[in-house]
Amino acid sequence: MTGDVLLVLGAALASGVEMVEAATIVLALGMSRGWRAPLLGSAAALGLLAVATLAVGPALERIPIDTLRLVVGTLVLLFGLQWLRKAILREAGVLSKHDEAAAFAQEVARARETGRARGPLDRYSWTLAFKSVLLEGLEVVFIVLTLGVNQGSIPLAATGAAVAAILVGVAAVLVRRPLSRVPENALKFGVGVMLTAFGTFWAAEGAGAELPGGDAALVALVAVTAAWSLLFVRVARVRAA
Amino acid sequence: MRRALAGVLDFVVGDDVWTALAVVLAVAATVVVARAGLDAWWLLPVAVPLAVLSSVRRASASGASW
Repeated sequence: MTGDVLLVLGAALASGVEMVEAATIVLALGMSRGWRAPLLGSAAALGLLAVATLAVGPALERIPIDTLRLVVGTLVLLFGLQWLRKAILREAGVLSKHDEAAAFAQEVARARETGRARGPLDRYSWTLAFKSVLLEGLEVVFIVLTLGVNQGSIPLAATGAAVAAILVGVAAVLVRRPLSRVPENALKFGVGVMLTAFGTFWAAEGAGAELPGGDAALVALVAVTAAWSLLFVRVARVRAA
Repeated sequence: MRRALAGVLDFVVGDDVWTALAVVLAVAATVVVARAGLDAWWLLPVAVPLAVLSSVRRASASGASW
């Protein structure tokens, strides 16, 4: 049960934060060149991502659980550490934080400079929206598949991700501005912590080690990973000063 | 094919190859120790933060752009 809650939370946070970045580009295109093409491009990318999830998910489920946990757990761990390391360095001020307002302004300027569309569909807007949603969404698909298959419920992870993506999309349409007030780095920090904890747990179990406390160890790993990550923010601040 | 593999590697490993290598070695060590019948559960929870600490210290000292 606790594992399922963490699963939904991890997938939803990852999806939300990636969709904020995609929504910034779609908004910039929609507000500067019209909505039809970017919305169609986004829908096509979301459709392709859904097909990829439906195609790869069942194939992963056929792999024996120990092998799956060892291989996929290691991949989740490596992937999660990328998120976590960057979030630590951004929080410490070593790396600059992602600025949605600046990204939006840059995208609007670029969209206005590009020639107007000829024909019924603005190919520039369609292609850019499609690529943005697809690239941001690929990370979400990876997280949904790896967390879902290891925890034994891809549909649960996919639901968490889909709900978060819909919420971000609705919020972006309602406010008609980049979602720059979303605490993006804090969310990435949270996702990094969860992926690192999940990856550590599954890789260790897949390797044949038995963590004390069974599934409760996952909760402990989340807490411990969050604690050392926050400590490392301080270390990075001191060293960068 | 080579470009696709490089893309997958970049997607999973990212910019810091040393951290990834340390983590893979720690996982391999966990397999070996567990198969020897010894307690191995503590290896990854210890190795992972050490690898990240090393990476964070390197990056913050050099002001790395990744």
